[in-house]
Amino acid sequence: MVDLLPQWLQDFLGQDVLFWLGYFTNGKHLSWYASVQYTLAAGVLGAVVALALGTLAAAGRNSRFGPARLVGGIYTSVLPGIPDVLFFLFFPLAFEQGMEWLRAQAVCSPMELASGQWPPCTAANLLLGTGEYLILAGVSLGIVYGAFAGNVISGAMNAVPRGQLEAARAFGLSPWQVMTRIHIRQMWVYALPGLSNVWMLLFKSTSLLSLLQISDMVLWADRLGAPNFTRSAGLVHPDWRWGYYLVLLAFYILITFISEKVFAALTRWAGRGMATAGAV
Amino acid sequence: MTMLDAIATDLVLLAKPALFNIYFAIASIPVGFVFAIFMALGKGSSNPLISRLCRGYIYAFRGSPFFIQLFMFYSLALAFNLSVWKPLGIDWIVLNPLILGPAVLALNTTAYTANILHGALMTVPRGEVEAARAFGMSRAQQFRAVIWPNVIRIAWPAYTNEVVFMFHATALVYLTLPVINDQKDLMNKAGELFERDFNAFLHYPIAALYFLAISAAIFFVFGRVYRHLMRHLPKPPAMRFSPRWMR
Repeated sequence: MVDLLPQWLQDFLGQDVLFWLGYFTNGKHLSWYASVQYTLAAGVLGAVVALALGTLAAAGRNSRFGPARLVGGIYTSVLPGIPDVLFFLFFPLAFEQGMEWLRAQAVCSPMELASGQWPPCTAANLLLGTGEYLILAGVSLGIVYGAFAGNVISGAMNAVPRGQLEAARAFGLSPWQVMTRIHIRQMWVYALPGLSNVWMLLFKSTSLLSLLQISDMVLWADRLGAPNFTRSAGLVHPDWRWGYYLVLLAFYILITFISEKVFAALTRWAGRGMATAGAV
Repeated sequence: MTMLDAIATDLVLLAKPALFNIYFAIASIPVGFVFAIFMALGKGSSNPLISRLCRGYIYAFRGSPFFIQLFMFYSLALAFNLSVWKPLGIDWIVLNPLILGPAVLALNTTAYTANILHGALMTVPRGEVEAARAFGMSRAQQFRAVIWPNVIRIAWPAYTNEVVFMFHATALVYLTLPVINDQKDLMNKAGELFERDFNAFLHYPIAALYFLAISAAIFFVFGRVYRHLMRHLPKPPAMRFSPRWMR
């Protein structure tokens, strides 16, 4: 990588800087930088799923249909009571086993199925790769934080002043128009601070990806920083892991900082034309 | 009957590991609470240097995942083992997961709790503080008699949530730090049982049940404390049993 730099720049930087520049752009380090994509992908997928499930759960909790209220209520009150890491480990395993069970019904012989072994036969084994685990990880984060988002959204829906909805009805808007143009339109102002909080929690949980054997930033930081000993060169470097983890901490703090700015802008945008204390 | 038996067996097997999670929480929460009081006062301090430092600490610890904080402090403990801890003779303290784990948890909860307490500090009624000053109270007296009772009452519901999340965070400790012998916590033990018979639908939900039950117990105890704090009111506001689970 360093060889690509023009000669005058190489002369200007000097040997020492070039050495470290070369070290931090070697193949393994480039893989580390590239692995940021897994973290970002899991975060974005999780956020989309969480928002969808949160909306559904909020709709369920406020619905007139009893069972929907029950399901929405249980989902939004039980799931936040268990640690995210537990569900994060449980859901991919459970999903995989469920799929394998379904497959086993089709491919295994009745005798193998009755044996009580797991898996019943080798043909039923599913071998999932990084891509599949990434999707499962994103979905399980989405399910966990969807419960949080459901609480936030249902609270925000109830926070919209009744008078606004009554006025809209008095103007002759249809129920659907009241819902989309007034209720949901105003709901965002009350929901965004809470959703911002949920997003931060969700994104911080993407640091758990390595628990599902995905080669994410954390796994690479561990590999790159571990004391490096080769027989020919001796001890290349001692334990540098704390430095690499410090970079990861800085990365997450940076993302938090950016998220705060984006959510502040979103809140201003959602609140335009509304007479709230935060309006400009 | 076999299913009930399996559930009962798991409940028994996971009882001792649950004690490790409870130990981590109990060892870290009081320390973090005391630190957080000073950190909250520091954040509200009029000295710009102290205020900036406290703000930076709180922002850094709240803005980064606890999982990576654990990794970083553990690797710090490892990297300076031969050069610093061993010669000082304190390597058995620094590298002991039963001490390092609560220490990092305490650093983490300090930041979250300080943020809650600082928020409460900002909402103490100004008139009460002015009245205390008019009575000629010293700053320590003002804090003890007027500011603190207000702060703790305002902050208690949010602090309850923080304690529950802190308890959930203890699940991460032994996914990072080395497990010595049989000192497994709920996550380790559930993982070990899973590897034995691949029954994810039994072991993880039972571990989740323990977390749910202990979270509910925390809400119950903290709710009773809240009632005690609010005993001067004619009708103490009830702390809802399913509060906003938000950190």
